Amino acid sequence: MANVLELHGITKRFPGVLANDHIDIILKEGDILALLGENGAGKTTLMNILYGLYKPDEGKILVRGQEVEIHGPNDAIARGIGMVHQHFMLIPVMTVTENVMLGVEPTRNGIFLDRARVAARIRDISQQYGLEVDPDSYIKDLPVGIQQRVEIIKVLYREADILILDEPTAVLTPQEVEGLFKILQTLIEKGKSIIFITHKLKEVMAVADQITVLRGGRVAGTVKPKDVNPEKLASLMVGRDVNLIVTKQPAQPMNTVLEVRDLYVRDERGNLTVNGLSLDVRKGETLGIAGVQGNGQTELVYALTGLLPLVGGTIRIADKPVHHSAPRNILERGVAHIPEDRQKHGLVLSFPIHDNLILCTYYQPPFARGINLQEQIIFKNAETLVGQFDVRTPNIYVPAASLSGGNQQKVIVAREFSRPIELLIASQPTRGLDVGSIEYIHNRIIEKRDEGAGILLVSSELDEILALSDRIAVMYHGQIMDIISAEDATKEYLGLLMAGIKPAEAAAPTRGNRKQKKVERVF
Amino acid sequence: MSDQAIQPVEVTPPGEDPKKGTRGKIWQALLVPALAVLTGLLIGAIAILAVGENPLEAYGALFAGSFGTPDRFIEGFQTYFASGDTSKLLRAIYPITESLVATTPYIFAALSVALGFRCGLFNIGAEGQVLMGALCSAYIGYSITGLPAFVHLPLAILAGAAGGAVWGMIPGYLKARFGAHEVVNTIMMNWIAFKLSDWLLKGPMQASGSRPVTPNVEATAELPRFFPDPLRLNWGFVLALAVAWLVYWFLFKTTLGFEIRSVGASPDAAKYAGMNVTRNFVLVMAIAGGLAGLAGTAQVLGVDHWVGQGFSSGYGFDSIALALLGKSHPFGVVLSALLFGFLRSGATRMQSMAGIPIDIISIIQGLIVIFIAAPAIIRWIYRIRAIPVSDEAMRTRGWGG
Amino acid sequence: MKKLYGIVGLLVVFSLALTACGGGGGGAFKVGLVTDMGGIDDKSFNATAYAGVEKAIAELGVEGKYLESTQQSDYAKNLQQVLDEETNVIVTVGFLLGVDTATAAKANPDQNFAIVDYAYPDCWPGAVEGKECGSATELPNVLGLTFATDQAAFLAGYAAAASTQTGKVATFGGINIPTVTIFMKGFEAGVKYYNQQKGANVELLGWNTAANEGSFTGNFDSLDDGRSFAESFVQEGADIIMPVAGPVGLGSAAYCKETSACKIVGVDTDWTVSAAEYTDIILTSVIKNMDVAVFDAIKAAKEGTFKGGVYVGTLPNNGVALAKVAGATAELTAELEAIKAALIDGSLTVDSMLK
Repeated sequence: MANVLELHGITKRFPGVLANDHIDIILKEGDILALLGENGAGKTTLMNILYGLYKPDEGKILVRGQEVEIHGPNDAIARGIGMVHQHFMLIPVMTVTENVMLGVEPTRNGIFLDRARVAARIRDISQQYGLEVDPDSYIKDLPVGIQQRVEIIKVLYREADILILDEPTAVLTPQEVEGLFKILQTLIEKGKSIIFITHKLKEVMAVADQITVLRGGRVAGTVKPKDVNPEKLASLMVGRDVNLIVTKQPAQPMNTVLEVRDLYVRDERGNLTVNGLSLDVRKGETLGIAGVQGNGQTELVYALTGLLPLVGGTIRIADKPVHHSAPRNILERGVAHIPEDRQKHGLVLSFPIHDNLILCTYYQPPFARGINLQEQIIFKNAETLVGQFDVRTPNIYVPAASLSGGNQQKVIVAREFSRPIELLIASQPTRGLDVGSIEYIHNRIIEKRDEGAGILLVSSELDEILALSDRIAVMYHGQIMDIISAEDATKEYLGLLMAGIKPAEAAAPTRGNRKQKKVERVF
Repeated sequence: MSDQAIQPVEVTPPGEDPKKGTRGKIWQALLVPALAVLTGLLIGAIAILAVGENPLEAYGALFAGSFGTPDRFIEGFQTYFASGDTSKLLRAIYPITESLVATTPYIFAALSVALGFRCGLFNIGAEGQVLMGALCSAYIGYSITGLPAFVHLPLAILAGAAGGAVWGMIPGYLKARFGAHEVVNTIMMNWIAFKLSDWLLKGPMQASGSRPVTPNVEATAELPRFFPDPLRLNWGFVLALAVAWLVYWFLFKTTLGFEIRSVGASPDAAKYAGMNVTRNFVLVMAIAGGLAGLAGTAQVLGVDHWVGQGFSSGYGFDSIALALLGKSHPFGVVLSALLFGFLRSGATRMQSMAGIPIDIISIIQGLIVIFIAAPAIIRWIYRIRAIPVSDEAMRTRGWGG
Repeated sequence: MKKLYGIVGLLVVFSLALTACGGGGGGAFKVGLVTDMGGIDDKSFNATAYAGVEKAIAELGVEGKYLESTQQSDYAKNLQQVLDEETNVIVTVGFLLGVDTATAAKANPDQNFAIVDYAYPDCWPGAVEGKECGSATELPNVLGLTFATDQAAFLAGYAAAASTQTGKVATFGGINIPTVTIFMKGFEAGVKYYNQQKGANVELLGWNTAANEGSFTGNFDSLDDGRSFAESFVQEGADIIMPVAGPVGLGSAAYCKETSACKIVGVDTDWTVSAAEYTDIILTSVIKNMDVAVFDAIKAAKEGTFKGGVYVGTLPNNGVALAKVAGATAELTAELEAIKAALIDGSLTVDSMLK
């Protein structure tokens, strides 16, 4: 088949960084090309070049065999290149139709917006590609998976036939990912060509026709899925052998460090999202909390760390009640917290790295003497931690915002692990990170467990829960469905629990070391 | 990897000298404001042309009015060396001292707004806080007699700071306790201050006689002047510089400042890190109020020695522009206050000598603020590349905040 | 960047050129006027005083200029600026400049000053001269220009009381200071005199001399305040309003013009001239001929006959006057003439009506 898009020798330099170094990429018509690479490998720069946001220093771009210069997003669209961004560019209070027509508003009689015509075309497109999007619904009412389809419709509406999807699965649930893959198949059946940017190996193996792996701004290899396995891909990405299976010693549980009894918490909108939950975490073990997003995990973590007030129940950390304590008092009891939303809670993005590394301890010696900040010690601390935790940054003075997601997470981990901790609460610790960073953070968490800290791991990635936990609790509608030993856990059984189905006692595998409350609400 | 990693073990030499990086950043930070000022003056020149006057003559008068004229300096030195008579020399430095006098309240008030910005708060109440500071200082200044200056003056200064602080703290508390937006409340506090001062000046604080003004403060409460009359430059200016340095130290070198900046840059992260966000709102509004109060204090104790109706005409509002212009950095604020002070002061002569309405200065100031607020215009005009990672100083949140 | 260097270079040349010029021409007779915080465009006070300067420019060929004060600390500075330019006569406007003018006058005894709405000596027992008051003695080089505005306002009050349809008239001021309240006192006296003569019961809102209380906007510049004061007076039933607050009154006038619910008594100047767009809703104006007084002072100085002291503008010397009353009946006109005569010969006084 013909090459719809060719990049030859694309090179882009930023001050101090060679972001793209003579990259060659070929996209064939009707293919899905997966662009695989760690954060910072140059994927985003390359796509911004393709989308006309950056001008390459060297190299040429051929669209359908014709050399072109792309001067901006409108230019890219005009040449049939459309981009679906990782962060959606949608206006929540507008309808699907209004969002799609934004920027290309067709009018009747030159003044009136012709919504009906756009809505009709959206229905057409939706039908044709099996997208199932109602043009009249408001964006704010749609689940994330459907919002993403709206983004795809925006691109299709503008008649793009080369679609670039930037990390499209990062925000989706497993079911939504399945749905997206079906859509991608339909799209290529109808003659579209797709570049699929990701760092998730399994997805690549599942959907791609071609895989181009980027590493350090260069093409590390172009392969077909049938010729490789995930391990091979991972080592191409990272540049060394990667151990995809987490190895850990059996846990050596000691005394209880976290004791939660009959916890009730309301979320910010006043809904009771944690509904009579009890659990224990012992030092030296990892308790994984599995569950579909939105079943109260976030509020549970907020309550444990003092960020949300309790409606009822008790929390004891290291034998002291903390359920009325301020966040700082809880932190000072030896709690480390890797927050779910690293950009919102975990970092002050505009602050330099060295300040982010003392965000929780700035007022304590040695960083402060009285109220005086000890700059030299803060700098030294940062240099040390950046080295120890392998944070890739030009220096410790750049703002955290300038780091890639993986490196931002490493800054948080470095900060939280640099304090003496009894209990680690890690919420979605590897969401959106690349293989190398995931491996790194997983190993660090296990290391902490082995040093004797209790770990409470909240993750919506079942693989992560299974890999790290010693015991697994499944959360559903604000309650614990069951707590089982990780050795006995099967994905099937966990999946049932996650869906709120409690199999008969007999069918359940061996129990973990604590029975949970009986759950009444099962449907 | 151990729990004791908090103790730095070995220092790897930094890849880049932080100071060097900082210097580059300062140059970057100054470039756009400097060009904004130049562009404002250029467009101001067009406006002057449009009203049929000569911009060269106008700016000449502006310059002479704010800095003085070379011939007067020469004459001043000649007379001084010839006869030891300083009067001509004093006359030569008069414009520049007046500019510094005009700068002083701007520094204080703009520091107030800048501090608020750093904590994500929009202090529109500087105007009222200035007035309260002035009234409190005046009251202590005239009502207490018989104290030595080294007691009376500090007392009067503290009273001004306290008056402003109370006026700032109230909206801060209302925000922390009830979530009431500080923009609304500071505006309300302005009105309360205006009306309260009207009442005080006609009643309890009115000097005998018919004018609605306070009595003059005692000589022991005056900020000493450096030169004989009519030169009004006084220790207030030095105090302003010292306070600017103090605010810098407080914001960037102390744990409290670290908290304030964290709360301003990301309240969520600050809360996560165990900081008490609402307490910081109260603290910052109180300090900001105190700083604005000092603007009134310096004006009363150093320049006017009494307070009359319409005391502060817009220091508080100008200071919002100044804080923006100074990127909410204390040193930037001092520079922008100097700019506005010199412009305002020079405008008197420009108005007198060249017949240019004083409003042209407001136009120039307005243009400068527009260019600062929308730096893209300046970058576009002068083809400057944008700084890739923006580190904007102002991070106030919207109405929902 | 090239463009940038070009512009910077241009500015350097520019600023060098600037320093070369500057400095005024000598020889001509120079008049400098320093306003108070109302600014030169207040269509009242400052504007009227400057009109006298402009008249002098036109008729006497003097050089004149003004300096606007925008804040309290500007007074001394602006005075210093005009002194520095070796001006022949310095006119200051308003009592707020009282102390600074006296200080400057004492420091420059050869310099002639005229101050509008103020006079020396102004010190009271115990006041600190040069701080709380300007001077304990008369200053030979300062002419205080004061006005018996209450006489003209008396006439306006009578005319308003005679013209009201609702039986209620109103007034409000900028700040409760004598130069403002003198209008209101005269107005009140006029209304009372009308009631007494006609056995009527016209009510005055916004001022009470006995209590020394009334409605004040607290400023001389907010047109919005003028509008809202007028609105509330109309709601209380008044249909004629005299705003004594400089340009604030223009806000009231605008409200009356839009709603046709009220008429305005202008102050300081004849508003059918100075605010001609509101002519149809202006009943009359209390004219304070500051421009005439200022012009006369300048003229005297130019002719070398300038003398310090106090000038009082009155009905007989035409320092104050009532403008033509719109729609006045012959009867009203005659009555006003009679009252004017009585006020001039002293058989009727403002104070007698306020007892």
